[in-house]
Amino acid sequence: MTVAAPALATPETRRAISFDSTWLIWIAIIAVLLFLVVSPFIYLVVTSFTAEKTGGFTFANYLAAYGRARYVDALLNSLKLGAAAAALAGVFAIPLAWAVARTDMPGRGLTRMLVLMTFITPPYTGAVAWILLAGPNAGWLNRFFMLVTGAEAGPFNIYSFSGLALVIALYSFPYIFIFTTAALELVSSEMEDAANILGAGAWRTMRRVTLPLALPAILGGLIICFLEAIALFGSPAMIAIPARFNVVTTQLFQFFGNPVRVEVAAAYAMPLLGVTILLILIQRLMTRRKGFVALTGKGGDRRAIRLGPWRWAMFGYAMLVAALAVFLPYLFLIQAAFAKAWGRGFGLENISLRNFHFVLFEHATAAKSVLNSFLYAGVSATAVVILTLGVAYIVTRRLVPFGGILGFLCIAPFVIPGVVLAIGFYAAYAPPPLALYGTALILILAFTTRFLPIGYVNASAAIRSLNPEMEEAVRVLGGSRLTALRRVVAPLLKRSLLGAWLLIFIPATRELSAAIFLYGPNTKVASVMIFDMSEEGNFEYLAALALILQVLTLPLLWIGQKALGRDFMLRRNAT
Amino acid sequence: MKGLAGLAIAAVLAFAPVAHADIKALEEGAKKEGELTWYVAHYTSEGAEDLGRGFTEMYGVKVNVVRTTAQVAYQRLLQDLKNNQTICDVFSSTDVGHYVRLATEGRFEKYVPETENKILPTFRNFDPAGFYHTTSAGLVVLTYNSTKVKAEEAPKKWQDLLDIKWKGKVSTGHPGFSGYVGTWVLTMKNLYGWSYFDNLEKNKPQIGRSINDTVTALNAGERQVAAGADGSTLFSASRGNPLAVSYPTDGSVLIIAPSAIMKGTKHSNAARLFMEYLYSIEAAKINAKHFAIPLRPEVPSPPGAKPISEIKTIRPTVADIDKGIPEVIEQWRDTFGN
Amino acid sequence: MSKLVLKNVARRYGTVEAVADFSLELVPGEFVSLLGPSGCGKTTTLRMIAGFVPPSTGTIAMDGQQISSPSSVLPPEKRRMSMIFQSYAIWPNMTVGENVGFGLQVRRLSRGEIDRKVDAILDVVQMRNLKGRYPAELSGGQQQRVALARAIVVEPEVLLLDEPLSNLDANLREEMRFEIRRLHDEFKITTVYVTHDQSEAMVTSDRIVVMNKGRIEQIDAPHILYARPKSRFVAGFIGRTNFLEGSRQGSEVRFDGFSAAASGLEGANGTGGLLYSLRPQAIGLATQKPNGGHLAVEAEIAGRSYLGEYWDYQVKPLGAAKPLRVSTGPNAVFEIGSRVWLEIDPSAMVRVE
Repeated sequence: MTVAAPALATPETRRAISFDSTWLIWIAIIAVLLFLVVSPFIYLVVTSFTAEKTGGFTFANYLAAYGRARYVDALLNSLKLGAAAAALAGVFAIPLAWAVARTDMPGRGLTRMLVLMTFITPPYTGAVAWILLAGPNAGWLNRFFMLVTGAEAGPFNIYSFSGLALVIALYSFPYIFIFTTAALELVSSEMEDAANILGAGAWRTMRRVTLPLALPAILGGLIICFLEAIALFGSPAMIAIPARFNVVTTQLFQFFGNPVRVEVAAAYAMPLLGVTILLILIQRLMTRRKGFVALTGKGGDRRAIRLGPWRWAMFGYAMLVAALAVFLPYLFLIQAAFAKAWGRGFGLENISLRNFHFVLFEHATAAKSVLNSFLYAGVSATAVVILTLGVAYIVTRRLVPFGGILGFLCIAPFVIPGVVLAIGFYAAYAPPPLALYGTALILILAFTTRFLPIGYVNASAAIRSLNPEMEEAVRVLGGSRLTALRRVVAPLLKRSLLGAWLLIFIPATRELSAAIFLYGPNTKVASVMIFDMSEEGNFEYLAALALILQVLTLPLLWIGQKALGRDFMLRRNAT
Repeated sequence: MKGLAGLAIAAVLAFAPVAHADIKALEEGAKKEGELTWYVAHYTSEGAEDLGRGFTEMYGVKVNVVRTTAQVAYQRLLQDLKNNQTICDVFSSTDVGHYVRLATEGRFEKYVPETENKILPTFRNFDPAGFYHTTSAGLVVLTYNSTKVKAEEAPKKWQDLLDIKWKGKVSTGHPGFSGYVGTWVLTMKNLYGWSYFDNLEKNKPQIGRSINDTVTALNAGERQVAAGADGSTLFSASRGNPLAVSYPTDGSVLIIAPSAIMKGTKHSNAARLFMEYLYSIEAAKINAKHFAIPLRPEVPSPPGAKPISEIKTIRPTVADIDKGIPEVIEQWRDTFGN
Repeated sequence: MSKLVLKNVARRYGTVEAVADFSLELVPGEFVSLLGPSGCGKTTTLRMIAGFVPPSTGTIAMDGQQISSPSSVLPPEKRRMSMIFQSYAIWPNMTVGENVGFGLQVRRLSRGEIDRKVDAILDVVQMRNLKGRYPAELSGGQQQRVALARAIVVEPEVLLLDEPLSNLDANLREEMRFEIRRLHDEFKITTVYVTHDQSEAMVTSDRIVVMNKGRIEQIDAPHILYARPKSRFVAGFIGRTNFLEGSRQGSEVRFDGFSAAASGLEGANGTGGLLYSLRPQAIGLATQKPNGGHLAVEAEIAGRSYLGEYWDYQVKPLGAAKPLRVSTGPNAVFEIGSRVWLEIDPSAMVRVE
């Protein structure tokens, strides 16, 4: 038998083609990354030194940005807020993570599920729920307190610094939880046994062995929490304004106000950027240090630590945290969503579907904003997955020299807070020549950039898990690289790519920090819509819309869990 | 009332404005354009959405209602202009200063509605040059939660809000967002000096963003008294919420809120038709339903609202608003911290 | 004409020379193994032949046409070769049939043609009944057969195998060696086989290239390689051996504990140090001094191990510093400490460098 074989091409012709196409792809990808990552960043820096009227070089923006005590106070407030929120989140997360990862506490699966619920609750939705719960006079917690004690006033005031720190901590503690469980699950029981057999008791073992091993991961989680807190826009805007203090993000938004001072905003964004870069570097150094199993070690067998009667105390604590983050907020969000007026309570006469009807059918843009959110998130997630898959492939397979640069550019947006990224995008692409102001494209591009790091981390983990021989087998049998990608790589990575897509899509449908600066009247997304509704205190409509958004997310979670396992959103590479 | 009467006379004396158009032709053109975008700070969300939907039902032209606070709408518009984008077709703010500035910069298209002579004379010919026209009017008044505060205990004049007994119980909007609140703050400053707000600060008011935030705060029992808008408060009260209005003896602050067509609009027929619509009986009825002052004499005032002729009103001059509101926003931030 | 010619091929990674000055010619249908310890450069050489790695210097030609040089490399998919990988690289997303048919699909054969050829080759490797299975449902040996079938069905110009049996257990490995050779005898495909297992190489190959530290030590047929190793490395790597260091003293060569006539020894007249390899099997062991022309050396049993198929004795010539290893049949039993005679055929002593 004979096989019709293609004639051997001469090496010379092939060489020219392969040389060119590899480089063309490299150039194309680097161009895309320059456009998405580098250019907005450069525009941000340049804009901060540009005089608004003349376009010339100036330091005036910096003077304007830091020239008032109020503006500097806002910076300090942010730092304080970040520290308070991170510390509080640590108090919530670390015991829970330990209990779930290492002990025989009952309801560990339930606890994980509740942490996941917390994780997918947008911080601004949580903030609204907490306004309903802990408004100084009308909040349900205060009303309940007054009812029970007969006091004139309740003790809780969400409109305060500590109130804001609590709300932020409640919805960012899952980051610490994820980091800590990941680390603890890599500490094998054998390591603890080794300490036990040398005479160390349970507490000493915990203190000398387990905790130090997990410490870098815990600190890493705290840092991420801190950065989340200082980069957040929605919750501070809803709570800090009535509480009468400013933070960096709300101050930045004011610089976008009347008149629009992008230049000053750019100058004002610099400390936020600087702090973020510095802390991310510290975090990386910490978790990369050798000798810690947290990142690289292989977990051996793990046995659950027996807590005895304390297991119920631990369970109680887990449920307390869950009550603060999930049960109470959702109870009152649901109440508000179905209420004629939320303050009137749970009576049957107060129940109505009016809010849903208004939001879905009467409001000109609310329903469309949800569609916009899903559309933009979908396009962005797809773009990120394709782009990062390409980059991860090129980098991992070393197809081009200096591939590392591509990888670096994909990871770089991680250090740029959403608000700062948005200002960079605004400065770079809103005005002509691109004139993307108010278009869907600018939002999609910003989301794409924002979620590149998540995509890249996942894509490169996926590619690294794939034996290159799988592709070489295709090529040696006559298939091209593209055939290998299409017939072997893509089908094998289907699941992990779907996972990456969801990990981007779900947060992208909730993104507010960047969207608030970039949306246009016709490109309003659900998060901005919810924020707008909060402006008027329309908590009933707002709650209805927020619930709709949450409910629409549930099938996606289900798909993700079917394809990738129960914990797919709570894994390390999710953050 | 004197100022308004003066305006009315000016309207009568004014020359027949340019650019009158045949309504039928506008309808035809608007249908082809299919939609328009309306930046609006005048009403509550529901009121604005209702008005937009009314227009769509009448003419089959879609209205993208972008309801937000005045300063946010203006900020959005400035960004549009800065980026050479004409997204907004009709601009309806509650801060008159916006119109003065935008008109000076030549941002508006001149158009005088055919039906302007059919609205209450008080509101006619607000801008003699014909760029912007009164499309909404409302009052900032004292409002309170009627289950927590008895009518006789309710504040009667603006300075009553400074009484120590309202400590932790006052609610306001934010001049940095709301045009109503900005105009109110400016009026108070003119009447009583900035010390009014230094003292108000001592009562720790809860500061929302929109003037309509006060409705929520009072409804929920979060706060008991407020400087609120009569329309949204009475509308909410009509739905069974425990709210009441007290017209201050030293004068309710009258807000004249205009609308204008943006220059370079891509939907000029629809925009003009929309201006006509805002002066129609149908629109006036929707306004009355939401307790805004109906501009057409044919439509009666909303039930429970005092006719405007029986209310003592005060308002700053247009020039004063133009210059004063940006100032009071800064002062406010210095006093209240954000 | 030669099928495949590697001329002075070298591959450097930075300052590390993975392969140096490698030259080899294969005639059509020849089966050649690259044998050496890990890190000797054999896999790099194979990957240069496949086109995955460009040579730093030198050229590779197939059928007289140059396919690799430092400046231009014909990509793997244009070489009409096929390859079996250490991991088998069976695509888990395709069935056995799809895996095997893939190369034919790429070559744009008709469906019927593909089916016919896939069935035929699956018959050859006795996997026809598992055609619809997915790889995850197959054992290691079955996966190996799929990899073989997939590689052979396209009738490649050259078949490359990269340690294909290293992941199998010992029994299966032995079975697959013969299977590979059988398939080669059936299809006569020019084959390059990389392994670190000498018996694999010896069972399958026409010639073996022994490599060490990136260089070729020796290229020869298996039996010559065993009987006539050219270097200390080859002698030590292929089978077990005794290294005997000698020095010329007059007409004799003096070794540790005995001497031999220089005239009877290969290369004893040459220059340089005299190092000989003597296989344990080539030494006789007897209680009585043997008669005949062979060298007889009196010695003592210093240690022994029984391996079932043979005895492995350590025997120390009287007065020697180190013992020699001697293999005997399982029935030749000598107690430790007993006096014996070693019988050495000088012509079995191979001078190595």
